[in-house]
Amino acid sequence: MKKRIAALLLITFVIILAGGCWSRVELTELAIVLGAGVDLAEDGRILLTLQIARPGAFTAGSEGGGRGKEAASWVISAEGRTVPEAERFLAMKIPRHIYWGHCIILVLGEELARREGTGIVTNFYQREREPRENIYVLVARGRARDFLETYSSLERTSAQAAGFLERMKTGYTVQLRELAEMLVSRGIQPAVTAVEVTEAGTMPGQVPGGPPPPQKEVGVAGTAVFKQDKLIGWLDPWETRGFLWLKGEIMKGVIIVPGPEQPEKLVSIRIRRGKTKIIPEYNGEYPRFLVKIQVEGDMVEQQTRENLATPEKIKLLEEEMASEIKARAEAALDKVQGEYGVDIFGFGEAFHRKYKKEWRKLKYHWDEEFSRAEVEIAVDAQIREIGLLTRRAGIPEE
Amino acid sequence: MVRFLKPRKPGMVKQSNQQVSQSRESSLPDTSWKEQVLSPDLDTNLAQIKAILDRCSDVMYREFIFAQNEQIRLALIYTDGLTDKEQISEQITKALALEVAMAAPGQEISKSRALEFIKQRGLCVNEIKQTDKIREIIQAILSGDSVLLMDGYATAIINGTRGWASRAISEPEAEPTVRGARDSFVETLRTNTALLRRRISSPNLKIEVFKLGEVTNTEVAVAYIEGIVNEKLVAEVKSRLQRIKVDAILESGYIEELIEDHPWSPFPTVNHTEKPDRAAAMLLEGRVAILVDGTPFVLTVPNLFVEHLHAAEDYYERFIFTTAVRVIRFFSAFISLTLPALYIAAVSFHPELLPTTLLLSIAGQREAVPFPVFMEVLVMELTFETLREAGIRLPRPLGQAVSIVGALVIGEAAVRAGLVAAATVIVVAFTGIASFTFAYSASIAFRLLRFTLMFLSAAMGLFGLITGVALIGIHLCSLRSFGVPYLSPAVPMTGTDLKDVVFRAPLWAMFTRPRLIARQNQERQEQNLKPAPPETRPRG
Repeated sequence: MKKRIAALLLITFVIILAGGCWSRVELTELAIVLGAGVDLAEDGRILLTLQIARPGAFTAGSEGGGRGKEAASWVISAEGRTVPEAERFLAMKIPRHIYWGHCIILVLGEELARREGTGIVTNFYQREREPRENIYVLVARGRARDFLETYSSLERTSAQAAGFLERMKTGYTVQLRELAEMLVSRGIQPAVTAVEVTEAGTMPGQVPGGPPPPQKEVGVAGTAVFKQDKLIGWLDPWETRGFLWLKGEIMKGVIIVPGPEQPEKLVSIRIRRGKTKIIPEYNGEYPRFLVKIQVEGDMVEQQTRENLATPEKIKLLEEEMASEIKARAEAALDKVQGEYGVDIFGFGEAFHRKYKKEWRKLKYHWDEEFSRAEVEIAVDAQIREIGLLTRRAGIPEE
Repeated sequence: MVRFLKPRKPGMVKQSNQQVSQSRESSLPDTSWKEQVLSPDLDTNLAQIKAILDRCSDVMYREFIFAQNEQIRLALIYTDGLTDKEQISEQITKALALEVAMAAPGQEISKSRALEFIKQRGLCVNEIKQTDKIREIIQAILSGDSVLLMDGYATAIINGTRGWASRAISEPEAEPTVRGARDSFVETLRTNTALLRRRISSPNLKIEVFKLGEVTNTEVAVAYIEGIVNEKLVAEVKSRLQRIKVDAILESGYIEELIEDHPWSPFPTVNHTEKPDRAAAMLLEGRVAILVDGTPFVLTVPNLFVEHLHAAEDYYERFIFTTAVRVIRFFSAFISLTLPALYIAAVSFHPELLPTTLLLSIAGQREAVPFPVFMEVLVMELTFETLREAGIRLPRPLGQAVSIVGALVIGEAAVRAGLVAAATVIVVAFTGIASFTFAYSASIAFRLLRFTLMFLSAAMGLFGLITGVALIGIHLCSLRSFGVPYLSPAVPMTGTDLKDVVFRAPLWAMFTRPRLIARQNQERQEQNLKPAPPETRPRG
């Protein structure tokens, strides 16, 4: 018994001590990267910009409050021929281990996305062990560095702000994994959130003796459209809505329709849920697509003074709603199909699922096929609730 | 096996054992009297007993003369403090020296009839016993009985006159409850058996008494319910008790350590309770209780792991609430075992496990801390253990000082000084609180293993932690307590007994006893006991 216990203890100690705390890192030895940006430098090299958290600013209970007193982030960049090289050059300036595990956003500069494409950047992030596959990939209108150098009034850092913006799904959001999937699929072309630097609101009453200086903050600016891995154009926020309807991705937001009796006054309908179904058809010459969109919404506001709480009026509103959504979707479709000629909707994948044999031939020139495809959009809209009021207060204008 | 781990030759170990036992025997004083018997001569007997009880100042000798025959000299021997003095003077000395004459006035009792007469009519004590063995006489005197010697008879009458100052039955200190009986066992064996008997007034409740401890001669009682208990279990308990050859049994812990199945395991395989209701419940499930004179803690065997996570109150509160509370207790047990290790692993090996905001907050707190996480947690855990130990050992009036120093100095000041991160204090405090939610005996094991897991996770991260937890699991699976697997009814799975592990079935649904414990008598109660309002007749 004694012999066995002694041997067991000995082996345990050898294992533990020989292992020697492999891969142990203290938090105080980490430079936690929150956001990374990649630009094209003037000489064609890669400019890697990191937004690194300054942990000291994140203590809640410290005297005087962390935020405001101390900057929460540190933005630093370095050039290199490749991303890893630039990272190694950064390591010479950063006294801690560059830790990618909590990187939230990866921002691509417009210039880089247009000229070099995403491929030379994302490969590193997929291959490395530390970065996550759920990093949000963004394309900045302008330079990625400028985007990372912004400030957030609500969050501690602009990278977090951008991450939360993405999570709110107000625009089309793409994570690294999804981008990679889109890149390898012939049935869909990548599209990525477009972001820009905007003028921030003000923070009244914060600084005694004067208004706070205007700050640059982050904002969503529509969608960046890619062909293969290169940026070819943009969709503005309005077109992005239509794009999202066709993708069936998220159904949030408000639809504005004219009042049935007073078209100059408007009625707002908040979308509750929706569903998009793409039904492909193929006649041997060109593909056809029927896109069925089902949507439910709640009425949240009326500018008109009429009584809308009748089945007939609701019916009229539903028709208006349907045509509004259809108009949005068609606008996005026209731009993408007509102007850019790339299938960012994933029609090709729907086609693949239904016509497996035909797909084998069409997939090599799918973008051309898509450009001449006929797309029909059918919207079925329903209003579920009209809120706590039946009509607007005040005497009807007669 | 490695050469230098070889043990000494087996013969050597044995030899040294024999030497020890020989020297132990020879160092004791002369014990030849143990085999001797009384002689008919009172003076000889008295001299012999006095010689044996030499320098025992608490032993009293009272010589007097029988009221109905002045020729008969009597002697009463008892230990002062262990006997009921009033009873002795009323029922023995006064009765024999004075009042016995009233029983048969004017009659003179001859020497030959005297013993019978005294036994039948003279003594007013309820409990008497006749013996001629010196050993029994000495034993009786020292356990509080009084011994009556008569001139001319080579026999003695042992009178049951035990009565000593004893602590009153009070509330259980170690197992407080909100609902349920508030009495607790005390230090007197007889009171304790009475508490059991009061709850189970059945002739099937058997209480067998042994004497253990070569010097202390402590009374140890084995209690069980015949018909429910597994007879083999009783035999096993008795044989393990009889194996014990030690000089002293001062607390039931002595017995526990000498009869448990796995002396090397950190987990207790013998349960103890100071609540008579809990002990009674254990007996009713087919367990055996071991009561030891001199301690309020009663042992029960066999012991299952889950017992330590159960409380007596679980069966007095309604089952839904009990189940919810048990979930908290099981969760706490897990927390108290793993949380600090998990914290170390997450912070120093796998920061990607934590949500970004939480990581940044912890990183912010740790920015000024000069130690690695492991050192920080280890120091805080040791501080907490020190505080806890101090809280127990401390004279009660000083208790407040410790809590002030503990809470203010250690908690607040250490964080303010930047020596410890606030998150670490929270982790350690929560772990400490969690370990108070279940039985103390099991929480000791968890406390010990917590440190082991902390070392493992500091060396190997989550991998080490999982390895440690797996080893603990394997170890627990290998344990048995008096033939019953320690983790049963979960491992091995006994379907019907899962009614009382985490989920506590309503009492009307618990109609069987634990299958592996009460092997002989499974049926506990009627099956259709679910209460319901009387059925109403359909109208019309």
